[in-house]
Amino acid sequence: MSHASHAIADRRSTLLWLALLAATALTWAIGEGHASGPAIAALLLAVAMAKGTVVILDFMALARAPLLWRIALLGWLALVCALIGLAYWKGMP
Amino acid sequence: MKYQSQAVALPYFVAAIGLFVGQILFGLVMGLQYVVGDFLFPEIPFNVARMVHTNLLIVWLLFGFMGAAYYLVPEESETELYCPRLAQALFWVFLAAGALTILGYLLVDYATLAKYTGNDVLATMGREFLEQPLLTKIGIVVVALAFLFNITMTVLKGRKTSITVVLLLGLWGLAIFFLFSFYNPTNLVLDKFYWWWVVHLWVEGVWELIMAALLAFVLIKVTGVDREVIDKWLYVIIALALVTGIIGTGHHYYWIGAPGYWQWWGSIFSALEPIPFFAMTVFAFNMVNRRRREHPNKAAVLWALGTGVMAFLGAGVWGFLHTLAPVNYYTHGSQITAAHGHMAFYGAYVMVVITIISYAMPILRGRACNSRKAQVLEMWSFWLMTIAMVFITLFLTAAGILQVWLQRISDSPMPFMAVQGQVSLFYWLREISGVIFLIGLIAYLVSFFVKDGDKPATT
Amino acid sequence: MHAAKHTLSPSLPAEPRLAGDLAIWIFILAELLAFGLFFAAYAFARAHDPALFAAEQEALNRNAGAINTALLLTASYFVVRAVHAAEAGRGRQGARWLLAALGCAGGFVVIKLAEYAAAFDAGISLSSSTFHMFYLSLTFFHFMHVLLGMVILGALWLNARRGRYGPRDMNGIETGAAYWHMVDLVWLVLFPLVYVIR
Repeated sequence: MSHASHAIADRRSTLLWLALLAATALTWAIGEGHASGPAIAALLLAVAMAKGTVVILDFMALARAPLLWRIALLGWLALVCALIGLAYWKGMP
Repeated sequence: MKYQSQAVALPYFVAAIGLFVGQILFGLVMGLQYVVGDFLFPEIPFNVARMVHTNLLIVWLLFGFMGAAYYLVPEESETELYCPRLAQALFWVFLAAGALTILGYLLVDYATLAKYTGNDVLATMGREFLEQPLLTKIGIVVVALAFLFNITMTVLKGRKTSITVVLLLGLWGLAIFFLFSFYNPTNLVLDKFYWWWVVHLWVEGVWELIMAALLAFVLIKVTGVDREVIDKWLYVIIALALVTGIIGTGHHYYWIGAPGYWQWWGSIFSALEPIPFFAMTVFAFNMVNRRRREHPNKAAVLWALGTGVMAFLGAGVWGFLHTLAPVNYYTHGSQITAAHGHMAFYGAYVMVVITIISYAMPILRGRACNSRKAQVLEMWSFWLMTIAMVFITLFLTAAGILQVWLQRISDSPMPFMAVQGQVSLFYWLREISGVIFLIGLIAYLVSFFVKDGDKPATT
Repeated sequence: MHAAKHTLSPSLPAEPRLAGDLAIWIFILAELLAFGLFFAAYAFARAHDPALFAAEQEALNRNAGAINTALLLTASYFVVRAVHAAEAGRGRQGARWLLAALGCAGGFVVIKLAEYAAAFDAGISLSSSTFHMFYLSLTFFHFMHVLLGMVILGALWLNARRGRYGPRDMNGIETGAAYWHMVDLVWLVLFPLVYVIR
């Protein structure tokens, strides 16, 4: 890999890292704002999924891995978030 | 045989098979007593038959593990055994202790046995599977320590491989956890904790390491696959086995008076216990598919693959069936437990010991493999015993489901003994399967004596 | 990523490849399964009594949780930089990134321990309520993974300092990195689930 492409890869990770920190701040702000309800829960889960997807595809480098592995990890994330959502919906008054 | 001292394994294997036969005979006696309650009474009451059946199982598996270690460690370490004479002497000590204990169970009543063996000095008797008199327990510890000394010294002076490291870890764990059998607090909850630390941490912890090491050894030998590949799998399997096995002990704490969070911890981690067994199955098939040579000992390969499948089914699937706390609330201590126990012990530990015997015995007797005819008979015995065990498990599972239903779930629950009458058909079917298992075992014994012009099988 | 392939044909993507050893990925799958089960158990137990969960969740220190999320993410980012450095043939420089990642992980441990101390002072235990049982169990199970991850990062750091990693020796560092990212990934679900969603 050339020097330039390394610099590009580094800059990409830096931007993603900053985006992940921003998303974390959003989750924290929602928590401190004591917001609740299905829409908020859905938003929080969507943020978690987005963050998880970045970590899986970019940090764990699964974007470059065989499809089956990508499906396994992203599928785990989607399934877990779906189950949490389903349980939340079940627990609504 | 690469090293002379490997020969000490031979008597251990012979004793293991001999005691295996005894275990099956007592199993058949007990199976019949389920439906003909006074069979052989008062000579061999049910509780004695059960004690002999389970104790013989443990003792012969220990013989098998020790023989396997004496065979495997010199070859892996590429050096002679540290002290072959010690191994020979220990064999006779262990055999004598085992035989005396069984005779004690059969000839004297249990309370008298306890009185004559120092149970009033240190009370260790009376707990399921750990019924052995104090003297026997001390004997087991002495034999185990001397055995471990011998094996460890051999490993230390020779080559260290991941197989010997994992095997040693398992064997030392086996010895250390057995020490909890000497401690019997009067508090019943504590007492149960320590009891499970022997029973569970053996079969769902350190024995799995022994099993993985033995399986890996045989697979390296019969497939010729690179050690590097097998090592990697071995480490993953033991990491999974230890994490799920140790925390999974929690599935025994549900109803013994332990804090309620164990219902969560136990359920979640023991639900994962099938994974290491599944990994072992994938591992075994993967290695055989990638084999670099056709080993002439087909029977050993069959046993190795069978171990993977049956351990996963018996320990993994049948364990999972009743491990979750809400399910176990109903099924605890029913015939479903017995179904799981039978297939798990057969699939995981009986089969892995037979695998190593099947691989090593011909070599110990001076040939790479047995004659074709002998191998065909051995493979017949594999299928007879394995299929019979599948049916034993299925019939006991059916009995268990019916038992749980009639006794615990239905609107008008029936008393225990009335339910036992209702499920007797399944007990009869189980007994018939047991007879077929015995036929398979006899075929296995005969396979050692088959002569076919003394011509070893070739590929 | 194979460096040579890239320079020869920059337009074609490299052959699909798992970064790190197959064995660690099997292990990661098993770990994810364990955490997934635990998360689902929490979510469905919460559904039985959302009011109790909400009340006790409110008492958690969300600032600590959020700072810890940031620390884990930053550690992950540093590990990525260390992998990139090794790929570019600057393995020794990567060692510094790994040390920084270890620092972040250490910060996580300190904050977590402070949280536990406060919880125990408040009389919270595994038996005090279903929520506390899950809070302590889940975070402690994850905490043990952070500690293991730190041991792995420490080993990577030592090896990187000795110059063991480079474009042709990526297996070790990629394997360790994959495990660390898994520790991070799991926390990304754990934080909103246990600290925020109500």
